[in-house]
Amino acid sequence: MSLAIAGMGWVTPLGRGVDSVWERLLHGNEACATTVSEEFGNRPYHVFRVPESALTGFAHPRLRRASAISRFAAAAGLDALQGAGLTLDSQNAQRIALIFAISNGGVIYTKRFYGDIVNEGAQSASPLLFPETVFNAPASHLAAILGICGVTYTLVGDGAVGLLAIKMAEDLMANEAIDYSLVVGTEELDWLLCDAYRRWRLLRAAPPIEPFSKQKRGMILSEGAGAILLARLPRRRAAETGEGAFTIECTHPGGYFTKRAEAEEILKWILRDLCQSEIDLIISSANGTFVDQAEYVALKAVIPNALVYTGKPALGESVGAAGLWQVILGAQALRFAELPPVLHADPAIALRLPLSRTPMTGARRAIVLSCGLNQQAAGLRLAIR
Amino acid sequence: MAKPSSPNGKTVSVRVAVVAAGVVSPLGFGLAETLESLRKARDCVSPVTRFSVAQCRCKTAGQVPDDRLLAEVEGLRGQRLHRASHMMIQALKEVVAQEPQFKPELTVIGTTSGGMSYGEHYYRSLRQAEELRHAPTWIANYPAQKPVIDAQKVFGISAPCQVIANACASGTNAIGYAFECVRSGRYKRVLAGGYDALSEMVFVGFDSLQASTPEKCRPFDRHRTGMVLGEGAAILALENLELAQERGTPVLAEIIGYGISTDNFHITQPNPSGVGPRQAMDRALQSAAISADKVDYINAHGTATVFNDAAEGKAISALLDGVPVSSTKSMMGHSLGAAGAVEAVFCLLALQYQFLPSNINFSASDDGLDLNIVANETRPAVLRTVLSNSFGFGGTNASILMRKFEA
Repeated sequence: MSLAIAGMGWVTPLGRGVDSVWERLLHGNEACATTVSEEFGNRPYHVFRVPESALTGFAHPRLRRASAISRFAAAAGLDALQGAGLTLDSQNAQRIALIFAISNGGVIYTKRFYGDIVNEGAQSASPLLFPETVFNAPASHLAAILGICGVTYTLVGDGAVGLLAIKMAEDLMANEAIDYSLVVGTEELDWLLCDAYRRWRLLRAAPPIEPFSKQKRGMILSEGAGAILLARLPRRRAAETGEGAFTIECTHPGGYFTKRAEAEEILKWILRDLCQSEIDLIISSANGTFVDQAEYVALKAVIPNALVYTGKPALGESVGAAGLWQVILGAQALRFAELPPVLHADPAIALRLPLSRTPMTGARRAIVLSCGLNQQAAGLRLAIR
Repeated sequence: MAKPSSPNGKTVSVRVAVVAAGVVSPLGFGLAETLESLRKARDCVSPVTRFSVAQCRCKTAGQVPDDRLLAEVEGLRGQRLHRASHMMIQALKEVVAQEPQFKPELTVIGTTSGGMSYGEHYYRSLRQAEELRHAPTWIANYPAQKPVIDAQKVFGISAPCQVIANACASGTNAIGYAFECVRSGRYKRVLAGGYDALSEMVFVGFDSLQASTPEKCRPFDRHRTGMVLGEGAAILALENLELAQERGTPVLAEIIGYGISTDNFHITQPNPSGVGPRQAMDRALQSAAISADKVDYINAHGTATVFNDAAEGKAISALLDGVPVSSTKSMMGHSLGAAGAVEAVFCLLALQYQFLPSNINFSASDDGLDLNIVANETRPAVLRTVLSNSFGFGGTNASILMRKFEA
C-alpha cells in the first residue's frame, strides 16, 4: 500500500527545519561534538547534541516537566503537521494515528529516578519523575498537545524501530477510519548510554564516524527527533501544500539476527525484495560499526551500482530517531535531485559514495535501509511521482 | 446481524481465530495450571524477596518462581538470559506444542520495561564501583525486543517483531493490533502477546505514586487501597479462521473486536468521567458490530486503585450495566505489559470451560459503583462473548472482545 509523505519535521544536532538542515548537509557541515561526563563515571564521551537554539521559543505547558526526548518529539511532530498544512480539530484528530519509535526512551529521568533509589533508598524516589520514565510518555505528551484521542502506539526497538513504525502505519492505514499517520522517532542522550555502547564495543572515543571502514572504529551518539506525516493516496492537498509527491511505495518488515554475521543475509533479503523496481539511491544506516560491513556486503551483492548515502557521519547515530531521519534524507534527495557528501569516507571504498555534493538527475526511487545495533533490520522504498 | 466492520463502516469478512495459547504467570505454568488456579480463585500474591522493599509501603507481588522458570534453557546461555526471556520462552513453548506448524508472518508483543532489572544491575554496579564483568550481558539483554527474539530463536521462528510499549495497555494493544492485521487480510498468521518481569525500579515507582497497597489487592471494593504488581508472559497464535479450518486445526476462540482510545487527561490518572475506557469499550463493540447486551463477562483492568476502578466502573455501568465483572489482578497482581495478554488467556479459558473468573478479596461494594462483581469464587456461566480491558499511563486504553467458537 503506497502512502504519501504529506509533511516532515526534524530536530537534529545541525538544527531544526527540514530545508535548513538539508542545506547545511549539502555544504558538508558536520555536527559539533560536545562531551558528556558523569560524576561516578571514569571517562567523558563525545556526542552530537541538539543545539539549544533549535528549540528556542518552543514551549508548551504539557512539556513543562518533560524530558528532552518529549520536547524533541513534539517539535518535530508539530513541524511535520505544519509542513502538511494540517490543523487538527476535534473531528480530524480522531482520524489520525500517532505512532512513536523509541529505542532507549527517557533515560535521563530513568537514571535520576533509579539513582535516587540506589543512593538514598526507595523513600526518596520522586513520584514526579517516574511517569516520565515510561516508554510512551513522549507519545502521551504529543497526543495531548494535538488532541489525538484515538490510535496511539509506541514501538520500542533498536535503530530499525523507525522503519518498523512506518510499517505499522502502513498496516493501520488499511483501516479507512484513519486518514493520516504521524510517525515520530525520538531519542535523548545521556552519559549512561554512551558507557553502555562503549562496553558493547560500538562507540568511538571521538569523531569522526568513518562509514564503511573495515576498522569499525565506532559511532558517535546523537539525539533529536524526526517526524513524517503519512496520508493515504491520492492526497487531497498535494497541490495546495506543494509538498511534492513523495510516496512510501512499500515497507519491508525485515527480520532479526542473533549474530552480527547474520545481518548481511537479512539485509540482502530486504534489498532483493525492495529492488523490484529500478533503484537510484540507497539511504544507508552505516554508522562506523559492524552495520557498515553488513550493509556493504549486502549492497555489493544485490545492487552494486546504486548511489549510497549515509548521513550519520554528519548527524551521528540517533537510534530511535535514525530511521525517520533517513526517510527525510531520502525524500529531500529525491526532491532536490542531489546528494550531500558522505563525510569521512575513504575514497577507496568500492561503493558509489558521493564524496562531494552530487547531482542525481532523474532519480525517482530510493531504498532506506536500517540495520539496528541490537538484532533488528528493516527497509522501505521511497519514490517521487 | 450486521457484518463486523471497521469503525467507519467498511465491511470486512475475515474472521480471526485463536488457534493456540501459552501462559506463565503467578497462577501457574501453562493453561492447565492456570485453569486450576482460576477455578480455585487462588491468591498467588506473596512477599517480595527479589529486592529490598524495606522502604516501600507495599511488600508483596505476584511472582513467577525461578526454580521452574529458569529450568527451560540451561547452561551458560540460560544464565545470561533475562527472566523476561525465560518467561517468553515458556509461553511460546506451549504455543508451539499446540501448533508445531504455525509459521507467523509477524509477532507483536507488548511490554513496559523490557529487561529492566539488568539495567538496574548495570547502573548500580557503575554507581557503587562494583564488578562490571557481566555488564555486556546486562546491556545486551536489557532491550525490550530481546526476550521476543530469544523466544523465537529457540523455536526456529523468524517472524519480524513489533514491540508495543503503551504502558499497562501494551498486551491488549498487541493482541488488538495483531487482530486487525489478520482481519484486514494483510496477514494470515500473527503471534501476539505480552510480557513483563518484576523490577525494583518499577516497583518503587508505583510505590512512590502511592498507587501500590500494603494490604490485599481489592479491585472495586469499597475499602480498596491500591494495586499489587505482578509479572508473567502470554502469547496467542492468531490465524485467518478460514485457513485454520482448512488446516483442520482446533479453534480455541475468536477475537471479534478491538477498541483503542487515548485519554489526554493526565499522564498517570484517568479522566474520572471514565470517557477513555468507555471509548475503548464502545469502539470494541462497534468493531465487532455487536450491541452491549451481547457481552456476558468483563475481565476488567481493575487495578484496585481508587481512581482507575472509579473511572472504569463508571464506564462499565454506563455501557454494560449488569454484566458480570471481575478483576483477576486480585489473584496475581498487575503484570503491566503482560496483563492484557495474560488476561486474554483467562478469557479464553473462561470461554472454553464456561465459568466466570473471580474477583477475590472483595468484601463490600463501593457505594459509588454499581457493578455486578463476581466476588471471591468462580461461578459456572453460559459465556459466548467476553470483553477484556486494559488501561495505562499516558491515557492509553484498549479493549478486546472474544467469542466462543461455534463450528
